Amino acid sequence: MSVALIAGASGTRRKVVRDGDRSTRARLAVVLLAVGLAATVLFSLSSGASDASAFQLVRDWLFPSFAANDAISARDAVIIYDIRLPRVIMGVLIGAALAVSGTVLQGLFRNPLADPGLVGVSAGSSLGAVAVIVLGATVLAPVTALFGSFALPLAAFAGGLATTLVLYRISTRQGRTSVATMLLAGIALGAMALAFTGMLIFIADDQQLRDLTFWSLGSLAGATWQKIGAVAPIIVLALSATPFLARGLNALALGEATASHLGVPIQRLKYVAIVAVAAAVGASVAVSGGIGFVGIVVPHSLRLAIGPDNRYLLPASALLGASMLLLADAVSRTIVAPAELPIGIVTAAVGAPFFLWVLLRKRGILDL
Amino acid sequence: MVMIEAHDISVSIGRRQILSGVNFSVRPGELAAIVGPNGSGKTTFLKALSGELAYAGRVTMNGRDLVSMKPWEAAARRAVLPQATALSFPFTVREIIGLGLTGGRSGAPAGEQDSLPEQALVKVDLQGFAGRFYQELSGGEQQRVQLARVLCQVWKPVLDGQPRYLFLDEPVSSLDIKHQLIIMNIARDFARRGGGVVAILHDLNLTAMFADRIHVMHRGRPAAAGAPADVLNDELISTVFECDLKVGVLPQPGIPFVLPQSAGI
Repeated sequence: MSVALIAGASGTRRKVVRDGDRSTRARLAVVLLAVGLAATVLFSLSSGASDASAFQLVRDWLFPSFAANDAISARDAVIIYDIRLPRVIMGVLIGAALAVSGTVLQGLFRNPLADPGLVGVSAGSSLGAVAVIVLGATVLAPVTALFGSFALPLAAFAGGLATTLVLYRISTRQGRTSVATMLLAGIALGAMALAFTGMLIFIADDQQLRDLTFWSLGSLAGATWQKIGAVAPIIVLALSATPFLARGLNALALGEATASHLGVPIQRLKYVAIVAVAAAVGASVAVSGGIGFVGIVVPHSLRLAIGPDNRYLLPASALLGASMLLLADAVSRTIVAPAELPIGIVTAAVGAPFFLWVLLRKRGILDL
Repeated sequence: MVMIEAHDISVSIGRRQILSGVNFSVRPGELAAIVGPNGSGKTTFLKALSGELAYAGRVTMNGRDLVSMKPWEAAARRAVLPQATALSFPFTVREIIGLGLTGGRSGAPAGEQDSLPEQALVKVDLQGFAGRFYQELSGGEQQRVQLARVLCQVWKPVLDGQPRYLFLDEPVSSLDIKHQLIIMNIARDFARRGGGVVAILHDLNLTAMFADRIHVMHRGRPAAAGAPADVLNDELISTVFECDLKVGVLPQPGIPFVLPQSAGI
């Protein structure tokens, strides 16, 4: 790789890749990941317990006369539009939300192992969700009556946001957030949320326990257009805020003081990042329960491939997170077909060893 | 006034008063060195001056109160080199230096912006290091990479007719003598071209060689300030450093000594 701008014979300047500048590679990776996601979406729409194929559907779009004579196409269309498509959209949204949340938190804490699970955001969201499942018919009956099927996602979102705001209050003094205090307070808050969740599980009846177990293992099986309507705006809004954080998060890698010396409004950066993460994670936990490791594995492996520049890392995380979750979901619904494995089991079973492998291989560079 | 002025600065951390009644100024064209024993408040003062620590008193930069300046406004006026910077992500050297351009006010012409990291690397004697991983460098190399980043932030010592400043906290602490001289020459050159430099230094010989003005700190208070020839006297440095020292006295014959001043003579 050569350095600098080379003046061509015609006097025009051509941009050449500079040593240590991985932005060209990163841009290429983002494009490839986008193509990969498109392929994964088509694959997910085509695979399942039924043999309905998205390729057939595309064909039918292009040649409507073909479809009109084909009764099977109508059945397939229902399977794809009402069952697979919402599930795929949900998978894309949640995969992107979890991966980007991990990326943002890791930038914020300057720690490649930070994760929504680590600072208690997921635990807070879970508490909210469990409270609705267990107390929905009794103490929280007015809430469930008011919000109906939205009560669960809203409670999880509220739980995640409440945890994050309390966390922020505890760890911020005189307008400055100490990362160490925040991590430790996050662990304490997570433990507290877990204790309350445990109490709720203790008083739950058999049916509730069954619901809780399946919800906490994580699944995309319950995806409906209605649920998408409830969480998509939250996730899309949260994710679209993150590109504006990219440069600030890059500078933050040098430490809070240095980032501030570079002109980054640190307090505002932290506040926006925290609210965006709480919203994205809360919405995800509400509809899919605990899906682990996406927030750690995706940004981590991308950082090794394209470097830690958040301007590329954030979009790449969203794309790869979405693809990964779709693939995990495809595995979860085909491996024991016609039954389904909770997706959280798949992501943990694949994610945890992968994470360990990455960690061991790159131990020198990461200097953990 | 077009300068940095600190008036009656006090800093307390918890109940402990670290600094009290510090007055300080640095003018454009001047390299001001801060010296003093460990724990005398040098770094704390620099942190107050860079807006990192809350302080009582008043700091103005080119006539504007520091407290009223937004982070990006302060970043356009001064760059800060911390003592050490640890990283937890695998950035390349070029990417680190590129972070110096975050604020976008380097002052370099638009066409040169992209090549600033390479130019800065040449300045700190690290040409060819752009593609290396920061975490794989030695402590001294990392320190020079950080200086290159800081230089990119205030590439032109004067921007829009306003002088800019470099705050350097022990910029040469982990460097060999060749690179100590290179770095101090960069700092002096920045001042000669119209900027101001505040540097915390430990090497009194290097300080005497490069500083236009020396500020001596002792137990959180200013002990003396002035030109090197006025400040560096037996009585003052013996008191401040609690060590019986003499200025300008040669060691016994036969004992070698090497002064930075001898370089290139």
